[in-house]
Amino acid sequence: MDIRSLREQSDLSFNRATAKQNALEKARSRQIVTYNSHIFRADAETINLISVLKQQSTVFILDVNQNPCEINNPRELLDLLITRNQEALNQYHQLYQQLKQR
Amino acid sequence: MSIGILIYCFDTEAVKYHPTANFCIAQIKKHLKLPVTVVTDTVTQSHLQGQDNIVLVEPRKNNKRFYKDKSIPWLNLERVNAYDYSPYDVTVLMDSDYFVYTDNILQYVDTAYDFLLYDKVYDATGRNSFNYVSKSLIPIVWATVTIFKKTASTERIFAMIKHIQKNYDYFCNLYRIDFQNYRNDYAFAIALNQMEGSTNNFLPSSMTMLPIDTEILKIDTTGITFKYDKYINSIKDQDIHVLNKEIPFNV
Repeated sequence: MDIRSLREQSDLSFNRATAKQNALEKARSRQIVTYNSHIFRADAETINLISVLKQQSTVFILDVNQNPCEINNPRELLDLLITRNQEALNQYHQLYQQLKQR
Repeated sequence: MSIGILIYCFDTEAVKYHPTANFCIAQIKKHLKLPVTVVTDTVTQSHLQGQDNIVLVEPRKNNKRFYKDKSIPWLNLERVNAYDYSPYDVTVLMDSDYFVYTDNILQYVDTAYDFLLYDKVYDATGRNSFNYVSKSLIPIVWATVTIFKKTASTERIFAMIKHIQKNYDYFCNLYRIDFQNYRNDYAFAIALNQMEGSTNNFLPSSMTMLPIDTEILKIDTTGITFKYDKYINSIKDQDIHVLNKEIPFNV
């Protein structure tokens, strides 16, 4: 392969990587939810934590700014987190599929 | 409880900001459906469209910025009065070059927090252009989008920002800030540092930004196509802060 083709391939890869990162940032922005006046990230860590705690009637967790929050209906929060997480990741998945075809 | 957006727009000889503000207002109406108040002057007022309310002021003009290798007037000194100018209980103070393409901001207007803004940004060109770690002793915050409630603690923060603006040279030296002109981002950062120490609360995601050297090829109500160096990329349905003021709105 000549050097020109390599450079073109390299540029294409760089551009694709940037577009992928933009799509990921978009998903991260969309993964934020507000519940009980506190802000949470609907990511795997938060979902796992609430899944473990959901049997309890009241739980205490930290929000995105490390402030404590009392949750009286963890199942309701879990549903909200999962819905938002999957909405954001579904969008990311669709963009990712488009990028793979570039 | 009233909720609304507050933006500033002052045309200058060097840059006509009103087309940017008009697009910003249209996007707010489309995605956030909130009332918009514009702080402006009598010259710019007649060019503005779509706002619900106007606050007329005579902006102080003794600040400059470097824009594309030129020193141009920067009428950013009125932002310290946002608390006084805002008619809302909860205000989203927003730069007129911040374009909303989602309703994500609505998440933040009904929280326990009195004062929220971004402390992290993301360069959509992938070059990490906004790494200012070595530019001061204090981490920068981004006043581009600031969500505040009218409470006693917020009033104190804005009073501190006014004090910092009046004595900016002193604070600039104290915090070894590398920018000689007045920047709201640092004034806000210093005020939070002075009033709340290191226990600040921030918006959790990164603000997406396009640097000044990024050419805007196309912009519409769904997204932006941009070019930097030889690379062309686009974003869709994603809120973004655009620093290049030459935006082809009518293309």
